[in-house]
Amino acid sequence: MRVVPLDLPGFGDAREESGYSVDAMADRIAGAIAARSGPYRLAGHSMGAKVALTLARRAEDGDPNLAGLSSLVLVSGSPPSPEPIPEDRRSRMLSWIDADPETRAREARQFIQANVGGSLPLDFENSATDDVLRAAPAAWKAWLDSGAHEDLCRRVGVLRTPALVVAGSEDADLGPDAQAALTLPHLAHGRLVTVDGVGHLLPLEKPDALARAILDHAAKPSDPRAAPPAIPPGYAELIASDRVNSRLRSALNERAAADDPAYAPQALDPVELAILRAVFARVLPVAGLDAAARVDARLAAGRGDGWRFIALPADDEAYRAALRTLDAASRAKHERPFVVLAGDRQDALLTLAQKGELAVPPALGGRLDADRMRFWFEDARADAARLYLSHPAALARLGFSGIGAGGDSPAPIARGLPGFTNTRLDTPEPWEPEPWEPEPWKPLAEESAR
Amino acid sequence: MNLDAMRTHSEDETVDAVVIGTGAGGAPVLAILAAAGLKVVALEAGPNFTPEKFAFDETLADEIYWTEERLSGGSTPEAFGGNNSGTGVGGSMLHWGAFVPRADARDLRLHTETGEGVDWPISHGELRPFYERVEAFLGVSGPRSYPWDAERRYPLPPVLRNGPAELMAGACEARGIRWADAPAAVVSRDFESEGGPMRQGCINCGFCHQGCRTGAKASMDVTYLPLAVSHGAEIRPESFAHGFERDRDGRIAAVVYMKDGRERRQRCRAVFLCAGAVETPRLLLHTGLANGSGQVGRNYMGHVATQVWGTFDHEVRMNRGYPSSLITEDFIRPEDADFAGGYLIQSLGVVPVTFANAVARGRGLWGQPLLDYLGRYNHLAGIGINGETLPCDANVLALSDETDARGMRKARIDFGYSTNENRLNVHATKVMRDLWEAAGAKDVWVLDRVAHTLGTCRMGRDGGTAVVDPHGRSFEIDNLWISDGSTFPSSLAANPALTIMALALRTAERFLAVGR
Repeated sequence: MRVVPLDLPGFGDAREESGYSVDAMADRIAGAIAARSGPYRLAGHSMGAKVALTLARRAEDGDPNLAGLSSLVLVSGSPPSPEPIPEDRRSRMLSWIDADPETRAREARQFIQANVGGSLPLDFENSATDDVLRAAPAAWKAWLDSGAHEDLCRRVGVLRTPALVVAGSEDADLGPDAQAALTLPHLAHGRLVTVDGVGHLLPLEKPDALARAILDHAAKPSDPRAAPPAIPPGYAELIASDRVNSRLRSALNERAAADDPAYAPQALDPVELAILRAVFARVLPVAGLDAAARVDARLAAGRGDGWRFIALPADDEAYRAALRTLDAASRAKHERPFVVLAGDRQDALLTLAQKGELAVPPALGGRLDADRMRFWFEDARADAARLYLSHPAALARLGFSGIGAGGDSPAPIARGLPGFTNTRLDTPEPWEPEPWEPEPWKPLAEESAR
Repeated sequence: MNLDAMRTHSEDETVDAVVIGTGAGGAPVLAILAAAGLKVVALEAGPNFTPEKFAFDETLADEIYWTEERLSGGSTPEAFGGNNSGTGVGGSMLHWGAFVPRADARDLRLHTETGEGVDWPISHGELRPFYERVEAFLGVSGPRSYPWDAERRYPLPPVLRNGPAELMAGACEARGIRWADAPAAVVSRDFESEGGPMRQGCINCGFCHQGCRTGAKASMDVTYLPLAVSHGAEIRPESFAHGFERDRDGRIAAVVYMKDGRERRQRCRAVFLCAGAVETPRLLLHTGLANGSGQVGRNYMGHVATQVWGTFDHEVRMNRGYPSSLITEDFIRPEDADFAGGYLIQSLGVVPVTFANAVARGRGLWGQPLLDYLGRYNHLAGIGINGETLPCDANVLALSDETDARGMRKARIDFGYSTNENRLNVHATKVMRDLWEAAGAKDVWVLDRVAHTLGTCRMGRDGGTAVVDPHGRSFEIDNLWISDGSTFPSSLAANPALTIMALALRTAERFLAVGR
């Protein structure tokens, strides 16, 4: 693999260059990519990952200068959403960067030491400290003051480019939990690899592990996805038969089609869509049916069901606020985002919501009170259940014969449709389907490199 | 419905009447006035569907539900949309359940009988001939003899009894409760009503609530509306009425409406407001008309419509057949009641999406238990009530501060049970649980539910306490008439559509007699 290291403006060999916004940094990298040819991968560490995600969005939108991007490698990456860094740590980092040389040298070394899981070999620690001291203080401050806060969540959207996300288990702000909650939602084909025992400076701490992960990913860039819910052959035959109305047949086939893994949410943002997927994985454990994406599409189209609980805001806003509240509840109780919680803990939070007992103070990110969370979870359960039973695989599982009651008739007021001739107990007609039990589904386990 | 050969009127022409809404309240009015030779135009907010669109599917049927958002509050917030509100030529009758019990005579004088609720300003005797005319015209199917009304005769034999009906019949036998095949506005054999198309006998597909493909169900688009059009009435689909122009005397001179993105007006001599118990008061509150009594929007009522569900060893397949094919009226006045009024019980078969919605909301199931329970669909059956709701000050429809896409304020409906409804509900739940136990049900559970939209423009004898007189005429604007569920002073135990149609005939004929 040929590797081309590129410095961001204000850092390393580019320390004299200006333009510190994420877009400006992306412009510089884009220039370097345009100067070369052939397919390429793009890797970014920390703030560089946010730049890489921005470039991937431009590439997928058809920027000719960025053609050829084959995959992303995001190491200890800063996500498209504002970076989750505590305010006290941020102000400390701002306080010494343009202090006197002695303070700078001391703090820079401490900064390096605070960002590793164990300890670096001394020569690595020295060169890393030198890199910090070499950086333009204005660039350093610009990142902490604005770049890290830039909210590119909706703009980056969901990328189709295969991506490897690598996180250090000891990284305080950008470890595996943060990557799962804030970076993976942007990657339709993303894989998270956690490197144990290392912090934020993962490439310096375990360069071999990182190289191995990148090579593995290059060899096998995407994981298999769950197939859409299967329709048993007998039910498929019924759908194809004359007993089923043509309009219904088209609708059933459309509903049975696989969901786009790179579905770009329109009502929710990608992070919220990921939380909704996690909720629906508990509410509606059906492999291969992206109920969250389908609900988002409905919310975006403004196709409501004709009413809403007066206590709740408009449907799309209710979903957004409720999902953020649920995530805040998870962070308050478990110090972890909702999407990474074990199923039983997710269930416990949802059960609290159902009982009207999920209360999160606004200061901790709660946006709906316990009563409203109860109303919202009722709506969400109903949305999921209705969506499920519009799917032909679900109807097959029920052994539902109603789809076969119709058929087509050329007459405006139909004549001669089959319907049912028998409606009594225990008298199924010979063509009526039996219930069908699909194979149980197990979610894919998260990968871990050691 | 086919409107190709329909007579049309120019907007400048002053027609005899504009009818706003083409459901159970508007369609019969339109037919009676047109048949009398009047020039009439109906404005329907929704599109003109043809039955070819009806495709035996719940999700595809979303288009026939009124899905403009309403805000639901109160202690028992009611669901709207597919639960009770329709759009399109034919109104919510496109998706109604066609379950057509008549009101019990006692329900119209509840206050005299119990001191609770209110009396209706008309007697059951006055209503009866109109009931008979509607039943004969629609082609109502029902039992040869009706256990609770010896004189009643239905024009057609009953539709097939289905699985839940068989279970309920057996349970009623075991408990000594009288039962009957349900009166259903679904033709059990081929039938052609005056001015309408030939309708084939019901094929028992079970999709009454999704639009009837065969015309067996008496939706307005295969009954009163074709009759109206055959007599020269005009129906304008996708025409949303939002205002009125008045002459110097305060009478309505024109209806203002939106069609094809443009505001239009139809000049007229009279208006029949038939938009249902949410949109009718909403339009009056929006325009500030006919509300000197302060009663517009007040006494909103939904029926107590609790259901009890159970799992049976039998293969029920409740999607087959007319969904509510059995009835008992033995609880219209229960002997041991600690409440005023009563309820009827019907057997229930429900199609999957509707059922899943109820399970997710009402039973609160999710996760694997939800999937497992829904998986037993072919062995489930329910029974449910339609129970009296008394008028109540706290139950009010008002305009919210939120506006719709047109800039019109959305309706906000606060509804909650009071003591009477709660007691009735407890009684009915006990009776239904007992019946389902007798039927052999396992895993029995109760779904609390509110149905229908009634009240908000009550009829009465006094313009100080009612919006319209006993014939549906506004006390304040003498060429404004209301014909829909909004005029109900109390809910009655019976499902409302048959009574709305009967009252519509009566209102229209009163207008012909004295209103012009």
